[in-house]
Amino acid sequence: MAEVEPVPTNNEDDMQEEIPGVMTTSISAISDFLKKTKAQDIINWGRKNSLWFTVNAMGCCGVELLSTGMAHYDTDRFGIIPRNSPRHADVLIISGYVTKKYFPALKRVWDQMPSPKWVIAFGDCAISGGPFYESYSTRQNIDEVFPVDIYVPGCPPRCEALIQAFYELQQKITAKKDKGTDY
Amino acid sequence: MDAKAMIDSLSSQFPGVIYDAQVESDIRILAKVKPESVKDICQYLKEKLSFGHLCCEFGVDYPERNEIEVIYVIGSYEHPVLLTLKAILSRDDPKIGSVVPVYWNANWYERETYELFGVKYLDHPDLRPLVLPQEMLGEWPLRKDYKGFPNKTAKNLV
Ligand code: SF4
Repeated sequence: MAEVEPVPTNNEDDMQEEIPGVMTTSISAISDFLKKTKAQDIINWGRKNSLWFTVNAMGCCGVELLSTGMAHYDTDRFGIIPRNSPRHADVLIISGYVTKKYFPALKRVWDQMPSPKWVIAFGDCAISGGPFYESYSTRQNIDEVFPVDIYVPGCPPRCEALIQAFYELQQKITAKKDKGTDY
Repeated sequence: MDAKAMIDSLSSQFPGVIYDAQVESDIRILAKVKPESVKDICQYLKEKLSFGHLCCEFGVDYPERNEIEVIYVIGSYEHPVLLTLKAILSRDDPKIGSVVPVYWNANWYERETYELFGVKYLDHPDLRPLVLPQEMLGEWPLRKDYKGFPNKTAKNLV
């Protein structure tokens, strides 16, 4: 709401955008206002129950990521559904080593995801580089680039660990402590 | 035809080109080859000795001998013998003929070996970058004197 001027401006540039008799505002002004109200709790309740994730299996941990999405674990009951397009997804799971060659593609997947969005670093490789931390092709310290909310250690972590990570993320969203939204 | 007969046939067909030939066991033979004629030898192996399958092709770096070895592991669908061919190149300017006209699957092996070791494959049909990102091309990261490793202290290392 900081953007809204107390005195309405009448100069030529603004006139073209305005609709007569209607007070217009920007999308972020509305969402910034809602963050201060109780409505945000309801919005967060909705968001935490539909954490759809991207299927980009990157390392050997990717196998665990894939099997988490399969019928055996039935993550649909938590609203966790694998999505093949980043444009449908809310959660990016970095599931393995990030090579220098793959990094631009991962960044692009992240940029294509619509907000609000969250990141889970899944496996030792995503956290620190794992066994490959000093390889010529590893991109180190990936959490400086992506706002990682949850770290899941293990090489590879089990599917249950990933479900636990989603649960922790839900707790974080409920507590408004996640990095996906600016509070 | 057993392993011994194969190596004899190869050595007599290409005297001076094949050297240090060894029969390691009934199913493993080993030979070194002059780099210029590796394609002719592969042609002969494939057509006359039914070595139809190039299992692998890669490089090994020996900095103290100033050599890069290009190694071909060739198997067959008709007999159990596995042949290891080694071609020794100079480390300063490694060049070797491509075997893609004989074994088509050497294409990607050679592209990878070119990027990681800098072995130039003459008359390779398509020596485009395969595995390395653009900014690392020409660094030959699998050579033993490669220095471009990231620092040893990744942030979250446990
Ligand atoms: S953490 Fe282990 S299992 Fe996961 S990608 Fe790295 S090496 Fe593979």
